[in-house]
Amino acid sequence: MIQGILIEGLIYGIMVLGVFMEFRILNFCDMTVDGSFPMGACILAACLTAGLPPLFALLLAFAGGLIAGVITSLIYTRLRIPDLLAGILTMTMLYSVNLRIMSNKANVSFLKIPTVFSGITKYMETAVPQISSDWGLVLFLILTVAVLKGILDLFFHTDFGLTMGALGANEQMVVSQGVNPQTVRMIGICLGNGLAALSGAFAAMYNGFADVGSGTGVVVSGLASLMLGEFVLRSNHIGLQTLRVLIGSAIYRGLMFFGRSYGYKVGLTSNDLKLITGLLIILCLALSNVNLFTFIKEHTTRPPKSGCCKTGAGDVS
Amino acid sequence: MKKTVMFIPALLLNVFLFAGGTKETPATGSKANTQKTIKIGIAKIVTHPALDEVERGTVDYIKQAGFNPVYDMQNANGDVNTAAQIASQYKQEKVDVAVAIATPIAIAFANSIKNIPVVFGTVTDPIGAGLVSTYDHGEGNVTGMCDANPTEQQITLFREITGIKTLGYIYTSKEASSVSTLKQIEAVCTKLGLKLEVQTIQSSSEVKQAAETMVNRCDGIYLSTDNTLFSALPALVDVFNRAKKPIFSIDLTTAKNGGCFMAHGFNWYKTGLATGEVVVRILKGEKPAQIPVRFMTKNDDFELLFDLDQAKSCGITIPQKYLDQANYLIENRKLTTKK
Repeated sequence: MIQGILIEGLIYGIMVLGVFMEFRILNFCDMTVDGSFPMGACILAACLTAGLPPLFALLLAFAGGLIAGVITSLIYTRLRIPDLLAGILTMTMLYSVNLRIMSNKANVSFLKIPTVFSGITKYMETAVPQISSDWGLVLFLILTVAVLKGILDLFFHTDFGLTMGALGANEQMVVSQGVNPQTVRMIGICLGNGLAALSGAFAAMYNGFADVGSGTGVVVSGLASLMLGEFVLRSNHIGLQTLRVLIGSAIYRGLMFFGRSYGYKVGLTSNDLKLITGLLIILCLALSNVNLFTFIKEHTTRPPKSGCCKTGAGDVS
Repeated sequence: MKKTVMFIPALLLNVFLFAGGTKETPATGSKANTQKTIKIGIAKIVTHPALDEVERGTVDYIKQAGFNPVYDMQNANGDVNTAAQIASQYKQEKVDVAVAIATPIAIAFANSIKNIPVVFGTVTDPIGAGLVSTYDHGEGNVTGMCDANPTEQQITLFREITGIKTLGYIYTSKEASSVSTLKQIEAVCTKLGLKLEVQTIQSSSEVKQAAETMVNRCDGIYLSTDNTLFSALPALVDVFNRAKKPIFSIDLTTAKNGGCFMAHGFNWYKTGLATGEVVVRILKGEKPAQIPVRFMTKNDDFELLFDLDQAKSCGITIPQKYLDQANYLIENRKLTTKK
C-alpha cells in the first residue's frame, strides 16, 4: 500500500504543483487543469500508438498543456472573461480536442505498448525480482519529481519568478515595476497546465490506459491536496511551499487509500468516498480561514481592461 | 454488505474453535472449501443497475458452486483514475481472484496485478483493450467474459421486421465499448446496404437533443451497451415514440418499462453468472492462461421483448414466428412474461 500511496502521491503531486502555481502564486482560479490533465494522457497515447519514443511523447504532452494554458490566458486577458469561466471554457473545448487527439477513441490501452513505466517494471522484475517492482517506479518518480521541484524552486528565485510571486499578491506593484502582468500571468498559467498535462501522462502510464474521462474532479483533488499540505506545514519559503504541495498530495492519496481499505469498519462503503473528499476540503477551508464569499466574488468578476489591480475596487470599468 | 461478509468467516472460525479444531468445519455449501478462507475482490467502475446485476450474478454463481469466499467490493465512482488504487489494494490484500467489471478497471488490473488471477467481466472488446491476444485462451494471469452483442444478427433481425433503410446510432464518446461497437455497426450496415446516421453525446443531459436531431434522419434506432445513454433512456424513448419510429434496444431491464419497440440482448444477471463461472474455474485450480474468453453465445443467454403498443403505433406487423420466440410482450402497457 505504501508504494501505491507514494506513486500516486508523486504522480498527482506534479499536477498539484501546477495547481499551486496558478491558485496560490498567481491567485488564478484555473479549471483548465480538468482538461489539460487528460490531454497529457491523450497526447501520450497518440504518440505511443504512432510509435514515437516515450520520452519524446512526455515532452509533447507537456507542450500540449502549455498550449492549453495559452488559450485560457488569451480568453482571460484579451476577451476579459473571468478566470473561473475562462478555465471552464477551455476545459470544455479540450474534451473534443482530446477525443480528436486519440482518433475518436475513448480509451486507449497500453497493455501491448511499451511505456517508460512498463520498461522500469520489466527491468525490476529481471534485475531484482525479490523486491516489488513498484519500488522501481517510486524511485524513478522521486527522481523525476525532485528534478521538477528543483527547477521550479530555481525559477522562483530568478527575477522573473519573483515578479510572478508578486503578481498574485499585488498586481499594481508589478505594473509599477514596468512589467506587463499579462505576459507574466500567461507564462505561469502555461507552466501550470504543462505540469498538469505531464502528470496526466504519468497517470496514464501508471493506470495502463489513457481515458478521455480521466479529468473529472482533478482540480478538486488538487486543491484538496494543496490545502492539506498547507495545513501540515506552514511556511513562506518557496522550497518548503513546493515540498508541502507534494506532501499534501501524498497525504490526500493516503487518505483515499485508507478510506477505501478501512472505511468499512465505520460503515463507510466505497460509494461514500466522494462525500469524504468534499467534507475534507470543507474542513481544510474552514481551518485555514479562507473567506468563501470573497473568494467566489473575486474569481467570477470580469478582469480589468489592462494592467490594473485585480481586486481593486472602483477601477473595474 | 461488507459487515455481513466479514461476519461469515468469523462465525466459521468460532465453530471451528469450539469443535475442538480437529473436525472439519460444517459448511453452508456441501462442497465448500473452508480450510483456507478464499478472498475475492470485485471492482466495478460505477454503481449502475446493469453493473450491479453483473456483480450479483458473479457472487451468486460462486456461492452456487459451493464456495464461500470473503468479498472486497470496490467501486471507482466513475473516476477512472482510482482503478490503479483499487488494483494496488487487492495486491496488498493478496486476494485469490480479482474481478474487474468494465474496461478501464480491467486494463488497470491487467497492467499492475501480475501474480494474482484477474477475471474481467463485461468487456466488449478484450483484444482491442489489449487484455488478451486471442479469444481461445487467456493471457498470463488474465481471462474473463466478453459481452459483445451479436450486432450483425440483431441489426439483420431489426431490418427484417421493420424494413428500415436508415439506421440511427447514438453513443457516448467517452465509453470505450460504445466506440468499438460503432466499428462493428459500420461494417454490418455496409454489408446489409443500410445507411447509418451517427450522433455522439458526452453526458446524459445531451440525450434529448441528440434524439431530436436523430429522429428525422433515420427510420429506426439501435441502442448498444452504453451506460450514459441508458441512464437517460426515457428522454430518447419519448422523442422516438412521438415520431412513431421504432427503437431496438439491447437492454431488457430498461425495455421492460415500455417504449422500446423491441429489445434483444442478454440478461445482465446471466453475464454475471458467466463471469462467476470463470472465477470458479480458477478457484478449482485451472490457470487463467488456459481458460478461453467466455462469450454469451447460448440461446438461453438471450431474451427477446416486443412492445406491441409501439408496433401498432409505428404500423409494424411482427411475424408470428418472432412473437412465439419472445420472452416478454408488452400490450396495453402491461408486461407479460411468456417464458
